[in-house]
Amino acid sequence: MGFEDMKTPETMTRRGVLRLGGGVAAGVVLSGCGKVRALWPRRGELKPFAVPGGEGIGPVAHVLNRLTWGAGPGDYERVRAMGGTEEEAAAAFVEEQLKPEMIEDDYARAACAPLEAIRQPVPELFEYKPAQLDDELTRRAVIRAVHSERQLYEVMVGFWSDHFNIDASKLDCQWFKCADDREVIRKHAMGSFREMLKASALSPAMLFYLDGRKNRKDGEADRPNENYARELLELHTMGVGGGYSQEDVMEAARCLTGWTVTGREVQFGIGRVYFDPRGHDDGRKVVLGVEIPAGGGAGDLDRLLDILMGHEATGRYVAEKLCRHFIADEPPVGAVKVVAEAFRASGGGIREMLRALFGSEEFGAARGVKIKRPFHFVVSALRATGSVTTAGGGVKRALRVMGHVPFHYPTPEGPAPEGSAWLATLLHRWDFAVKLTDGGIGCSRNEPEKLVRCAGGVGGLLGHCFGRRATEDELAAAGAVEDVVALALAAPAFQIY
Amino acid sequence: MKTIIAEERGPRPVLVNVFLRGGADGLHLVPPVGDDAYYRARPGLAVKAGEALRLTDFFGLHPDLGPLHGIYQAGELAVAHQCGTADETRSHFSAEDYVNHGGLEGGGWIGRFLHRTRDAGDGPLTAVSIGAGVSDALRGVAAVAMRSLEEFTIPDRDAALRGQLGAMYARAGGVLGAAGASTLRALERIEEVRKGGGVSGGVAEAGYGDDGFSGGLRLLARLIRARAGLRAATIELGGWDSHFAQTTLTSGLMPVLARGLAAFRKDLGGLMGEVHVVVTTEFGRRVAENVSAGTDHGRAGVCFAMGGGVRGGRVLSDWPKGGIGADILEGPGDLPVRLPLHHGLTSVLKRIRPEVSGEAVFPGLEAGELDW
Repeated sequence: MGFEDMKTPETMTRRGVLRLGGGVAAGVVLSGCGKVRALWPRRGELKPFAVPGGEGIGPVAHVLNRLTWGAGPGDYERVRAMGGTEEEAAAAFVEEQLKPEMIEDDYARAACAPLEAIRQPVPELFEYKPAQLDDELTRRAVIRAVHSERQLYEVMVGFWSDHFNIDASKLDCQWFKCADDREVIRKHAMGSFREMLKASALSPAMLFYLDGRKNRKDGEADRPNENYARELLELHTMGVGGGYSQEDVMEAARCLTGWTVTGREVQFGIGRVYFDPRGHDDGRKVVLGVEIPAGGGAGDLDRLLDILMGHEATGRYVAEKLCRHFIADEPPVGAVKVVAEAFRASGGGIREMLRALFGSEEFGAARGVKIKRPFHFVVSALRATGSVTTAGGGVKRALRVMGHVPFHYPTPEGPAPEGSAWLATLLHRWDFAVKLTDGGIGCSRNEPEKLVRCAGGVGGLLGHCFGRRATEDELAAAGAVEDVVALALAAPAFQIY
Repeated sequence: MKTIIAEERGPRPVLVNVFLRGGADGLHLVPPVGDDAYYRARPGLAVKAGEALRLTDFFGLHPDLGPLHGIYQAGELAVAHQCGTADETRSHFSAEDYVNHGGLEGGGWIGRFLHRTRDAGDGPLTAVSIGAGVSDALRGVAAVAMRSLEEFTIPDRDAALRGQLGAMYARAGGVLGAAGASTLRALERIEEVRKGGGVSGGVAEAGYGDDGFSGGLRLLARLIRARAGLRAATIELGGWDSHFAQTTLTSGLMPVLARGLAAFRKDLGGLMGEVHVVVTTEFGRRVAENVSAGTDHGRAGVCFAMGGGVRGGRVLSDWPKGGIGADILEGPGDLPVRLPLHHGLTSVLKRIRPEVSGEAVFPGLEAGELDW
């Protein structure tokens, strides 16, 4: 279980949740059907807030853009106060967000508390229908992204969910993805890449998703199932041009033979991951030129992962992906080098890589050059409007029509990282912008007129949504429509960050 | 904003690219029932000669693809076996990239084709991808993604909103500006199609399934019959990555594929003469089955062409005389590519526009054609 759940034991009762909900400033109440209905915005009632006023996106607006799922009302003001200059304030916010365990997150925890099924231990997950688990998983992802104060952590959860992509509709992943989400992704999202890699390799969901559980050698003629081994090299560690061969894929698959998991077919002990020595190919292997002597048994897994961790392609590939995510679609070479070095020096320390990345010149310079993907657009619109969301039907429908429902990308490479690949969803973004501000997204409530007032008028609203002062043209466009908030969310400047 | 839509007259050929995502197993779809080596390599998975539908003396069609058999017999469906690309990575993503881009160049192969053959009448619905995103094969031309006509709309509460958005996106320029402009134009055109304008809602008795693949083909048929300006479309049917329990997995997919294509043809009737369907995948699969009753990533697979005057009722191949024994296999035991996929596609494109050259659409690849 991830640290964000520590204060909410899996056994917590409804009564306990109510107590917790009542004890925080922004409370929630439970309706009869057990769904959460929040009463107030993220940090209490909307009140007047300062907005960015620079001509371009400044340092504070930039870190809010990149380290969070989008700025909400008051976020700029709070972060700006963290330092004397914009730069100092931005740096202080980075440090704050690099230590999520120090950030109180009662509101998000309380908002997710009614999502009880996905917190069950593995065997008990199977007592629930997949549709309920799926609903809760999606809702937790959205609610946490919108309402958590540990924003960078939630951004990293999204990043690793893509990196170790699992389609939660495949076979027993319908149940096991819930465990993968908390015990692989959320547990290690800001920890050690090496530990996350091993947790993923032995995650019941991954053993199902990429067929690892069926990879065994019983007879001389048996050919290993290469599926997981290939993606381990291609997608999880070295990258497609990382310098491995088809031979390396086959050797890696041999190392992994014998690891398996019990699924629905057993009565007791579902989800038991174990090594079956009878199904293991215990001969000598050579992966990437490194010998793994015969007789290694279950230890072959760690030997293999160590070889991959030690190969320079892995640090570079993970660094490239992080830089693509946080800096630009074409990751700058200099930043990649610095982050790859942090990977090497720390043995895959995720915070160390992030600190190096955010400290790079390239990060500071690349403002407003990335295009939001649909999930990011939806969450940032909810945050910008100060919406209170239970992530119900309206939000899920929007994500579905844009092809970006979390945990449902069918193939292992995960959804395209570049925002430009998602521009065909523009119409659906406009649709969401209009519906969100006129009450058409029933599960997400906000007060558009009050928002405009609190932002200091139309100009302030645009500054808040765009992270910079609005241009004359933008002000004129806003002056010509009734739905100012919808226009701001649908505008080109809200599609970038 | 008002767009003038020219009435389309005369035949307007349409390319429909069906992509079987995940690496469909050509040896399972179109089994070489006359090859003993095939049966030796696949003791558990091979399609029995007696169960396959007869295509030629040597090749059969998997019985789950039954609805395609009549189309083949009518001479409107052709198969290219041992077909594939030069990509040897056996990586889904690199192989799919290679197929979509038509080689190692940037841009998409269909995008380059449309760019070369662009005419003044091209409108917002020239290129459409069924689904949430635009296929890379369409890169280089304005294209829209849609899942249904009904979903393709925004509420019309604030009359000024569209106009102001149009102006903002026009000023934004770049990829965002272009996406904004094409979205607004497509929206207007689709509203016209949706309002009817003499367009029927589809042939009920065509036999479409209630799955998304059939739904997408039905939408394409509607756009084609409405003469909405469609020149090329892409649609995917995913899930062919059969590492495990291949028989179970593909027995769910093959009927969806065959039923959808057969219904599409029936729906379009006489228009099928100008609708050119190609069915491709990123790679075929390993000849020998693996330990979990599946097959791993391989090289050559199959490609189908339907409609558009294809010389069908034939299986094109260059099958090795002694069968697919270990001596002729490549790498870890894969069927080598003998018929380049881009040659098959070039021949189809040349039927649409004879003046188009293979070099222009597939730069850097050796030009050639398939005899279909």
